[in-house]
Amino acid sequence: MLNATILLQILWTSLATSSYYVLFAVAFALVLKVTRIFNFAQAAIMTVAFYSAFVTVQWLEWPAWAAFVVMMAITLAASFALERIGFEALRKRGVSVMFVFVFTFMVSEFVAYLAMLAFGTWPQTIFPTIFWPVTLVGNIAISAWDLPAIGATIVMLALLFSFMRFTRMGQFMVGVADNPDLAELYGVNKRQIFLVTVLMAGALVAVGMFLYGTRAQVLPQTGLSLMLFAIAATIIGGIGNLAGAAIAAVILGVIQNSSILVIPSEWQGLLLYVFLFLAIVFFPNGLRMPRRRRRFATATRDIGDNQDVSAAEGQV
Amino acid sequence: MSPRIWNVKGLTKAAAVVALLMASGAAASAQQAYRFGLAMPLTGSQALYGQDQVKAAQWAVDEINKAGGVNGKKLEMIVLDTQADPQIGIQAVNRLISVEKVPAFITAWSGVVKAVAPIANDNKVVELSVGANSPDIAALGDYVYTTFPLADIDIRAVANYAATKMGKKKAAIVFINADTGTAAAEVYKKVFTAAGGQVVAYEAYDPKATDFTGQLLKVRAANPDMIHLQGLVSDTPQVIAQMRQLGLTQPVSSYSAAYNPKLVQQLGAAAEGVIATSLAPGAADSEKVKDYVARWVKEVGREPNGLPYTEYLYDAPYMIADIFKALDNKKLPPTGENFRKEMLAQGAFKLPLTGNTKLGADHTVVKPVYLMEVKGGKWTKKAVVGE
Repeated sequence: MLNATILLQILWTSLATSSYYVLFAVAFALVLKVTRIFNFAQAAIMTVAFYSAFVTVQWLEWPAWAAFVVMMAITLAASFALERIGFEALRKRGVSVMFVFVFTFMVSEFVAYLAMLAFGTWPQTIFPTIFWPVTLVGNIAISAWDLPAIGATIVMLALLFSFMRFTRMGQFMVGVADNPDLAELYGVNKRQIFLVTVLMAGALVAVGMFLYGTRAQVLPQTGLSLMLFAIAATIIGGIGNLAGAAIAAVILGVIQNSSILVIPSEWQGLLLYVFLFLAIVFFPNGLRMPRRRRRFATATRDIGDNQDVSAAEGQV
Repeated sequence: MSPRIWNVKGLTKAAAVVALLMASGAAASAQQAYRFGLAMPLTGSQALYGQDQVKAAQWAVDEINKAGGVNGKKLEMIVLDTQADPQIGIQAVNRLISVEKVPAFITAWSGVVKAVAPIANDNKVVELSVGANSPDIAALGDYVYTTFPLADIDIRAVANYAATKMGKKKAAIVFINADTGTAAAEVYKKVFTAAGGQVVAYEAYDPKATDFTGQLLKVRAANPDMIHLQGLVSDTPQVIAQMRQLGLTQPVSSYSAAYNPKLVQQLGAAAEGVIATSLAPGAADSEKVKDYVARWVKEVGREPNGLPYTEYLYDAPYMIADIFKALDNKKLPPTGENFRKEMLAQGAFKLPLTGNTKLGADHTVVKPVYLMEVKGGKWTKKAVVGE
């Protein structure tokens, strides 16, 4: 039964569905890289993003583009509040990594609970319908959702990477990620960089959630269950490595979907946990590409880096 | 909604009020009231079903009491949350038995019904499963009974109908890898094969999955002429959407989880030809059901989620009141043992919405199965099996 059509179809659909996974993973990896926060509160941002789009489309009956704008605005506002009210206060008090993690976890549970009170627990979607018409290319079914989803993801990633590489602010971000105190000595406004980072992650999450919510049903706890995938991809991709997280998310998605051709379908759901387990036990620093020349000069910083990393991993 | 529901939802303010109410009310009414428990998901992913079912049961209790209760004594229902989670269900039932001391309680969702069965048996308290359909519920022990037809009935009906009336020869079964899915898929396979058909694909999917391409492509490769889908409310529309997207145009059958108006809205034309089962008469079949649905629309502003389930939940307190009445007439104390004895002695009950209910000695129940089909964007009655 294994023929080219089936293989290509699985590859294509998993590529398309990995679009939101990539965005969630990169958002998570970005915050972890720059702020060193194991940001479980991303689930809360996802929930806020989804329900603001849901309300705009289904209750206010505004068009899709307006829903997207409203969703982005509310998501960014929520991210702003998370950084300024939550993270900054904790940072000022100098609390431990563990404490911040517990805080982010609590925020995500709290928001899920609020969403449950406000919207009930019936699964919802952004648009009333989730059926997207398909076009056959060869024998491969390509739905009207697939291309825009992949396109939006590529655009978001391109924006992020060119921002980090070519803008002054982006370079400051990399600087803060490497050594926040040193960066501050050089005149970088740490506070501003942290805020920009959390906002950018919010924007990635908003786009991801818009894609997810136009294709599958969402419950108040969906954000939480999607986090596991983002965390797995971040760890496997190598903490601090955004491109690694993105690639890991795509590969994980494709492997999970195509696994059904070789293992019984009942075992499919287990794969993610197997990967996560293997990654944590054998590759706690991710499957890193050999580092570029900077490696030697940054050896001392790596040690500090890894301490943070192992502290964060202990909490997965 | 009764204040007790808010209590279990953990709203401290409401809890304080309820505590006061219970303290003052319990003293006055404990002697005159006949009490039973109701353990349903009030929170969690199944709560929208659970809450509507509790509302239906509450309506019934209120009406029974308005009409004089149990020989003039009040019928009292104690509602606790299970989240449809076995662990939390066990806590709820333990409380119903040891704190509230009820002789009988109603619960649903296969996982919970099974998990609490040993507690019911050990304490000799009757567990009535109203809504769970896993076939193994019939074999959970002396004190576990169901008023809801088990998957054996509706899955059997839909499998038989496909093989004999629709003339299908090759079926594919796609099911969720959870309690309800695996057991029912097994039944479908057995019945369809026994009726002369052949199961050409048998694919499970993970409860967390959002993409079903792999499974559905395997189904497509097997080229069935009928697909049976055994999923939950949250994933069923997405699976059907992907089937149609991947060019699977075969008729799709499912069970009562698919029978809800939202499915048609979410899938549009892709919903055409989807067959679901309903284990209770629809508004078109019975005046009483019509009035009942009208009451929902009037008081809640919509039809209930999972109409058939709520009909069974509405009926269950009537059955319990009947049994209490008989015990009261015979001046027997309402213990779990007496309750069970009396329930089996009566055997058959005439219930307002779902009609005649006959409890079998083998812990099953006999009920007709309604097959519904999406036609022209609406659920329509296709056939009634075993009337």
